[in-house]
Amino acid sequence: MDHARADILAARHRLQDAGWIPRDAEAFRHLPPPPAAVWLGEAPDAASAGCDAHPLSGAGWTLHPLGQTPQGRVDARWLDAADPAQRKELFAGLPLPIHPDGAAPGDTAQHDAAPFAWVHHALCRHGLRLRIGGEHDSGRGAAETVWIQLRHQPRSAVEAPMLVIDVQDGVHCVLVETHHRHHRDGVACEQPVVQNLHTHIRLGAGATLQHLRSVQPGAADRVAHHLQLQLGPDARYEQGLIATGSRYHLQRQVVELAGDRAEARSAGLLLAAGADLEQQVRMHHTGERTRSHVEALALASGAARAVVNAHTRIAPGAADAEVRQRLTGVPTGGQPRLVLRPHLEIHHDQVQAAHGATWGALPEDALFYARQRGLDERSARGLIIEGMASALLARAFGDPLFIESLDLAGLLSQAVAQHLSDDPTAPTTQQEAAHG
Amino acid sequence: MTHAEPLLQVRDLRVDVGGRHVLKSISLDVPAGALVVLMGANGSGKSTLGLTLAGHPRYGVVGGQARFGGQDLLAMSPEARARAGLFVSFQAPPEIPGVKNNLFIRTALNAVREARGEAPLDAFDFLGDARAAATRLGLPEAMLARPVNDGFSGGERKRNELLQLALLRPRLAMLDEIDSGMDVDGTRAVVDLVQSLRAQGTAFVVVSHYLQLIESLQPDAVLRLDQGCIAEIGDLALAQQIARTGFVRAADALEA
Repeated sequence: MDHARADILAARHRLQDAGWIPRDAEAFRHLPPPPAAVWLGEAPDAASAGCDAHPLSGAGWTLHPLGQTPQGRVDARWLDAADPAQRKELFAGLPLPIHPDGAAPGDTAQHDAAPFAWVHHALCRHGLRLRIGGEHDSGRGAAETVWIQLRHQPRSAVEAPMLVIDVQDGVHCVLVETHHRHHRDGVACEQPVVQNLHTHIRLGAGATLQHLRSVQPGAADRVAHHLQLQLGPDARYEQGLIATGSRYHLQRQVVELAGDRAEARSAGLLLAAGADLEQQVRMHHTGERTRSHVEALALASGAARAVVNAHTRIAPGAADAEVRQRLTGVPTGGQPRLVLRPHLEIHHDQVQAAHGATWGALPEDALFYARQRGLDERSARGLIIEGMASALLARAFGDPLFIESLDLAGLLSQAVAQHLSDDPTAPTTQQEAAHG
Repeated sequence: MTHAEPLLQVRDLRVDVGGRHVLKSISLDVPAGALVVLMGANGSGKSTLGLTLAGHPRYGVVGGQARFGGQDLLAMSPEARARAGLFVSFQAPPEIPGVKNNLFIRTALNAVREARGEAPLDAFDFLGDARAAATRLGLPEAMLARPVNDGFSGGERKRNELLQLALLRPRLAMLDEIDSGMDVDGTRAVVDLVQSLRAQGTAFVVVSHYLQLIESLQPDAVLRLDQGCIAEIGDLALAQQIARTGFVRAADALEA
């Protein structure tokens, strides 16, 4: 039996032995994921695993130029996980998932999603491996930035795509990653999709990655994205996430701040209009003088269920760590369920930590102010939400030029307009006209 | 609207806020292009009148009527009132984090222009007008690119209200203590802008405690508000008397 086949069978056996995520698992308590059969494409209601999207038509991962990156700074390898040699290359150096039962108590939270990884191992057929910064650092300019845009379109109705990114020491990278289920181009799978994506990112010493992710699945899609990040000394990772709800949508990231002075910032804008959406962010501080900041703004309407689960752990050796969590939930109409769970686990005396969660309506005084100047209620709400989202991402990226260069305002405006138009309780133009 | 009907006509307006009768009976007329000064002690109902006319949902009208430009003002949404040409400046303009001032004002201006049947202004044209107006009002140009009122001083917030007034060019503006927190140059900017817009036909209701500003504005009428009612109607002499004797003495004199 070849290596690929053996790996797939081993993952299936592990899953069979240990079982799927239990319904009472703490991390998934508020939005339990669909069972393993769904992610394996073995559920009775599963769509045909075949798909009309041809690999060469733009499905899967596509890499697009962005800005002005010198030649030779990105080494991209599309790998076939069914081929033993390519599978070995795809998974090389990546940690194998461990079940909570076999993990140290402090690591339980890190591995409670392990069954997702086994399912991924069992189903993964394709992956992309990126090495950013080029082969040799001698040719790189000191202040050089590598700009990349990655688009992913499903290539199968049930899939387990893979992405591995290695940012070399000292390299500064901007990555825009989009997962949009728009069918304008006609390149993607048209069926409802079940997608279990696993991404592994490693930042070398002094490397930085500014990572903008926009994930907008179709209403009937079931999506789980898992990001594992390892930060070396003085590395800095900034993520801005724009995510919309679907039948099931999980965005989970685990960040290991192992190198001294490593820093991570995560800002999530979650837009759930009558749909489900959960973000889980785990920050693990093991290096000294490390810093992390988790912020989320969850907007939910109708019968949506939106959950933000933030867990920051400061290990015994992580002296002088600075951590913050700031979670905000705003119901924008209907009777959504909004769950915000900030959580700190501190095993060192010399740290600075703050966390908080606030629920509340949109600021009434600002809404009225905008309407007094002539904006209808819908536009006023949209503008205020866009402002809150824009401020959130500005805090994560901290660089107004970066934000302007990516036209984040346009992206936010589109996502917020979609959220409001999907809200069945929002005032319509006709209602406003009648009122006025 | 008939020829005899003033631009703003308020009759026996009664308003409750949080279960308390704040406006007990207000009647006033403001013809097009006129300037009326509203004076009154703290808590007499001046700001309540402004926010009620603007359509604030927390201000419950329990009786009376208000017509603006021949339309039933009280039946209109806040934005419909604004688009019909009513501008109410805020005593404490709120912040809108993350929303750039120039985007906010341009969006508002284009909503009003659309209601007037005018073409929307593109970002380039708008910015030219906004920069020129900001310079005239002494508002640093950088404030246009910053989030609305975010980190603005009291005076800057008031100048930002004036900037919106200058660009929106309403039919009637109610300015609620627009001079508070302003320096001398700011007060002069208020006078210049009011005179300029008034010359183009804008009517004003100005709430102020400061005689110097009131004298500079040359009002057509001065009203004294007391405990939710119009207690006295006069001209500049009334404002001068209130400045000399205060509101308590002025009320005593009226009762005697």
